Amino acid sequence: MILCGVAITGFTVSVTCDIVTRLLRSPWLWLQEVTMTFFIYGVFIGTAAATRRNDHLYLAAVTESMSGRKRLALETFSRLVVLGVAFCLVWFGYLNVLDGFKSLRMPSMTPLASLYAGIPLCGALVALFTIEQLVNGWKNGFEARVT
Amino acid sequence: MSYGFLIFLMAFLFLLLGYLGVPVAFAIIASVLVVTAFTPVSLASMMTQLFNGMDIEALLAVPFFLLVGELMTSANVTTRMIALSQALIGHVRGGLAQVVTLFSMFFAGVSGSSAADVAVLSRSIGPDMKREGYDPGFIAALIACAATMANLIPPSIMAVVYGATGNVSIGGLFLAGVVPGLLVGIGLMVYSHFFGPVGIKKKRASFGELSAAARGASLPLVIPVIIMGGILTGWFTPTEAGVAAVVYILLVCIPAINRGYFRRLPHDLAMTGLLYSIPLITIAAASAFGWMLAYLRGPAAVSGWIASVAGNDPVLIMLLLVGLFIIVGDFIDAIPAIIIFMPIILDLTQNASINPVHMGVVIVLTLAFGLITPPYGICLLMASKFTGVRFGRALRASLPIYVVFLGAILFCIYVPEAVLWLPKQFLPQSVGCFKNPSGDGYICP
Repeated sequence: MILCGVAITGFTVSVTCDIVTRLLRSPWLWLQEVTMTFFIYGVFIGTAAATRRNDHLYLAAVTESMSGRKRLALETFSRLVVLGVAFCLVWFGYLNVLDGFKSLRMPSMTPLASLYAGIPLCGALVALFTIEQLVNGWKNGFEARVT
Repeated sequence: MSYGFLIFLMAFLFLLLGYLGVPVAFAIIASVLVVTAFTPVSLASMMTQLFNGMDIEALLAVPFFLLVGELMTSANVTTRMIALSQALIGHVRGGLAQVVTLFSMFFAGVSGSSAADVAVLSRSIGPDMKREGYDPGFIAALIACAATMANLIPPSIMAVVYGATGNVSIGGLFLAGVVPGLLVGIGLMVYSHFFGPVGIKKKRASFGELSAAARGASLPLVIPVIIMGGILTGWFTPTEAGVAAVVYILLVCIPAINRGYFRRLPHDLAMTGLLYSIPLITIAAASAFGWMLAYLRGPAAVSGWIASVAGNDPVLIMLLLVGLFIIVGDFIDAIPAIIIFMPIILDLTQNASINPVHMGVVIVLTLAFGLITPPYGICLLMASKFTGVRFGRALRASLPIYVVFLGAILFCIYVPEAVLWLPKQFLPQSVGCFKNPSGDGYICP
């Protein structure tokens, strides 16, 4: 959560500086890179935080009306799907990062891999939080979760 | 496996996982990854598609418009706008119902988020309406319907996403959204007046009370001027206009209205940081879904079918697309729907020579309608939850109000001149007008 706040503060400040330096007729071109870095890392970290807090968008809250083993099974199933996706994000995201060293961001010439790295990072955090939810859910029941 | 089967499998898996309780973004990514495994496309390259979905500068506007709404609500600045709405219209029949609609129109001008609007109204006016004897189902239905205007009256997050992914002028979409937004607002007011509960008759606000309320609300009401003024004069892009509005609230509005709020600012920044990531990861996932759909030639098949039925008739094409989006909007969120179906929209827009801004407004209006239709009417779900009413009861109360939306959609389809009038006046290039080479003014197709 704190990192989400840091990210949004970061790109708010950098866009503000971008406007000010442009109005002063000496724009700092690298600010746009800083902005996108904060923005993209903010999305990935926020996604992980939202997973931990069950804040994501849902099509239906079918499990909330259930209880007992049926609910346990469905809640476990949905988290296993999330866990599967998270592992894909880590592994294929890592392969993508390796590929990202071949491309550079302008004007700083930083490898694009620096941005792509957000994907496996997000996957790792989502996996971690999902395992935490599974363990807590199996121990205390999913009904007791804080939403 | 045939492409048609893979498209069916991808859509089926997404809906199945989504309705089994997997978060939308992860349900989309899972369905895309499964289908990708049956194609020659590498799974690692799908990560690039995920990344590309959010690496769009215009999408930066989304967190800023969310932050504006969060700051305004949390710092209690919105109470002044509610007071102004009450002073202006609280005395007419169904006074509080009219206040809900008028306030939503004001709030839509400062925030692009329907969810924020539902939260503010349910907490502030909802309890007063209950005390005055309004039917709880009607309260939830009206709040949900009025909140959809946030997606029409600028700044609209849906318009930002549509413009950013469809390469359509966001400023043009903002301006073109005003007429349908007002149509829906006026429609809701007319409905509340003639068919809604009467409420408690109040006396008309005196000129002194009205001017005091207007003075109180004057600072927040400058925000739409900053946003639209900045965009129209070319000073700001929509993203920068969002930042300018945030800076204005932090440096002018809050110090003048609620200085003590600053203690809560770090919490609200963190909360908004979390909130913006939710639609944006869904946008990224939907973008990968849309890419795979295009790879499997889904858009060509659907647009081919629509073109075979409608030919090049723009009205018929729009009606079919509206039908498609009403069904789609019932099942999935508006933002992924825009991105997934964008290739189809672009194809049909081009083939039938429809103005992209006109098409954008019709699609956004249809998807805004989807926010109040079951089973995935997110505004209606939120409003019924916040006001403590069963969803079915809120749904029954909202059914007659659907006429307002359907009327507005048909009006926008059949009268493009009305929709495009504002962009033509203030941002002619956005709707394809070009400078007259032999004099002043613009030539519009």
